[in-house]
Amino acid sequence: MFSGLFKRFTTQKPSKDDAKKRLQFSLIYDKLEVNDATLTNLQQDIVDVISRYFEIDKDALELEVKRSDDVSALVFNTPILQVKRKEA
Amino acid sequence: MEGKIIVVTSGKGGVGKTTATSSIGAALALEGKRVAIVDMDIGLRNLDVVMGLENRIVFNIVDIVQGRCKISQAAIRDRRIENLFLIPASQSDNKDVLTTSGVERVAKQLKKEFDYVIMDSPAGIERGFENSIVGANEALVVCTPDVSAVRDADRVIGLLYSRSLTPKLIVNRIEPARVARGEMLSHEDVLEVLSIDLAGLVPMDEHVLISSNTGTPLVLQNESKAGHAFKRIARRLNGEADLPVEVPTHNTSMWSKISKTFGFNK
Repeated sequence: MFSGLFKRFTTQKPSKDDAKKRLQFSLIYDKLEVNDATLTNLQQDIVDVISRYFEIDKDALELEVKRSDDVSALVFNTPILQVKRKEA
Repeated sequence: MEGKIIVVTSGKGGVGKTTATSSIGAALALEGKRVAIVDMDIGLRNLDVVMGLENRIVFNIVDIVQGRCKISQAAIRDRRIENLFLIPASQSDNKDVLTTSGVERVAKQLKKEFDYVIMDSPAGIERGFENSIVGANEALVVCTPDVSAVRDADRVIGLLYSRSLTPKLIVNRIEPARVARGEMLSHEDVLEVLSIDLAGLVPMDEHVLISSNTGTPLVLQNESKAGHAFKRIARRLNGEADLPVEVPTHNTSMWSKISKTFGFNK
């Protein structure tokens, strides 16, 4: 009952909050640890889809998983050479 | 009617898988079910000593799978709890002697002879793990409230899902006083991180070591809080799905007892 009151007067954050936060991030990272074959397949699929709409420079494209403190993002970077004319 | 196979697994070792397996198995037998506990940790058997049956081993699970004996010859009957049987692991082989198809065949036979078959999976996610989940109908994942156990539990949960098993979680060795001080992840934290359903919460309990010292079933020790929690998990598995999960508390004041009775701290 008094532990809540006590906590209010201490500035130290409970260590379990650290544990929880670190766990949440590491679980995401663990799942992002994809093998090369998966990454190559994913890249090929993305290229196929984008190529339907744009002509892209397939040699210059980059696919990477970016990790920062609180977000993880899949970044696909490609120069667009030309917009394809949509077929009727 | 055909029985059910429940696999108990964890990924990380030393989180209380063997204690959970033996206690839940014993509790289900106390509920009047015919139960076989199978030690799938080939080469590193432990359930026999924990259950106090180490002097009565004749055959083991490898002998059954390889056709050297019948199930009834390998299953050791517990003399204290009726309808409780242990099928021990082999101590001399390694995990690769069992094939998935062989285990699957025996699993089907076991379901015909028992109401519940509890498989104690080895730590890790290799062959031994694969073998222990092959015939499973249900899965329980055991973890303790620490970062390494939770992370490994997540990995195992993912693997179970990929085998079309929807596991439930047992959070073991909860120390309520430390949870209250913010030094230990609460079960809510663990559940939020893992997004999984709960099978039960088990407090840290000195009786666990003591009962394994003597090889006596934890669930027969009436004063054991962990034993009590395992009994409730067994009841939940055995048809009482709505039996409330009791949250371990460190406070034994009148007020906490009252609020517990009324289900405020479910």
